[in-house]
Amino acid sequence: MKIDCVIDGKALSLSLNSNKPLSLILAEDIQNASISSHCNGQMCGLCVVLMDGKAVLSCLIPAFEIRGKTIITFEGYAKTKNAKDIEKAYDLTHLRPCQSCYNARTLLIESLLSSNLTSREDVIREMESLKCHCLEAGDVIRIVQAASEIRRKRHARRS
Amino acid sequence: MLEGLRSPNIHTPSNLSEYSSIIQHYPTSSLWAGGTYIMSRRDFYPSSTTNDEIIYLGTIEELHRFQRNDRIAEFGAMVNLYEVVSTGRTILPKILIKTIQSFGGNIVTGRITLGGSLCTTDFRSSLPGTLSLFDASCEVRYMKKKRMHSKWFPLMTIYDKGGKLNLPERALVSRIRINLYERSYQKFFQEGSFFQDQENSVSIAISGNPDQDNFNDARIAITYPNLGFIASHDLDNIFSSARFPLDQSESQSIEDAIIEMGMATFPSISPLQKIRTRGIIKEIINDLNINALTAASLDEANTSL
Repeated sequence: MKIDCVIDGKALSLSLNSNKPLSLILAEDIQNASISSHCNGQMCGLCVVLMDGKAVLSCLIPAFEIRGKTIITFEGYAKTKNAKDIEKAYDLTHLRPCQSCYNARTLLIESLLSSNLTSREDVIREMESLKCHCLEAGDVIRIVQAASEIRRKRHARRS
Repeated sequence: MLEGLRSPNIHTPSNLSEYSSIIQHYPTSSLWAGGTYIMSRRDFYPSSTTNDEIIYLGTIEELHRFQRNDRIAEFGAMVNLYEVVSTGRTILPKILIKTIQSFGGNIVTGRITLGGSLCTTDFRSSLPGTLSLFDASCEVRYMKKKRMHSKWFPLMTIYDKGGKLNLPERALVSRIRINLYERSYQKFFQEGSFFQDQENSVSIAISGNPDQDNFNDARIAITYPNLGFIASHDLDNIFSSARFPLDQSESQSIEDAIIEMGMATFPSISPLQKIRTRGIIKEIINDLNINALTAASLDEANTSL
């Protein structure tokens, strides 16, 4: 099956099995190093990518659903200004996710910030999707609040 | 592409009449809603047993509708659970919101569809159990003499006695209707992860109206994800006929009766599921005991005043 999509800003036309999971497409067909695990849909939460701006678990997205969609992996996201906001929040709070969940957690925080879901309950519920427990819920809330403040200031400066 | 592995054909009907003509041409095709359950199976990909024809329901516009009035809320089967919570947060019973939130964060509930969570064949989510407490019903579309018919059924009737899916072949659940009434006591308990540890997890949804030492209009559903769910009048009567507060021996006999009922329906309940069921029942009884004692002490205070 021929599938056209945009991954990290590159327009691609891929010939794939229509039911192949996106996590495998990124790892095998695109050689994207930012996807750290393929848990076969067991929801470990480590394979988060942004699909049309929304965070999704790439192991639960079949190839036929990415037709015409824009996918951003951590590799592409890390180069953006938005990523710098979250990076600054890590530095400011002296809290940093472990290496294995760094990419997924950062993208999850980005999806929370972009949809303006920064309340305690929203953050806690969203972070439950990640099975890595390197940070406590309170720590993540502090990071999200710091990142939200940094982004707000950046937008205010720009306008 | 892997050598020797055929790529399934994906059909994307844009409305129900297109769907019915596709299902007539490919009667053995698989229906794909959110895909969460299909893709979480260990042997999903690569697999030589995958169905060659897949009908993706996400493009059918009619299945994404939502409407409500004072008494009911009606969701299309392809509305995802995140949308159910965000659109119905203020009107839906709290226990239903709690059940949906138990599936995981928005990233997970945004993928699981209402219809998909009701219609998986060998996995039972906690949602049908909770919906059964509110006498939910669903519209089933099925093929008869080369024509598509639709009919509303109470949700319980699409499952057999053991909570296994019992839909006719080539049938599709297209809409789900939920009654909007609240009972004063409603709680949802879940132990273990339904997705990662099916053999050992259990959930119980209970609702009713506690009134002094009675627990009126009691409804209870117990779900074992690998087996099915139990929701019956016999089970409800165990709580309806009890007089609270219960002492330890009465509480023990209720736990035993429920475990026995569970074992009669599902003889293969695992030991941990049994222990967890017992623990949750104990918690519920404790809760209802506290309710009854609080009501009694309030009554006493009122009469002394």
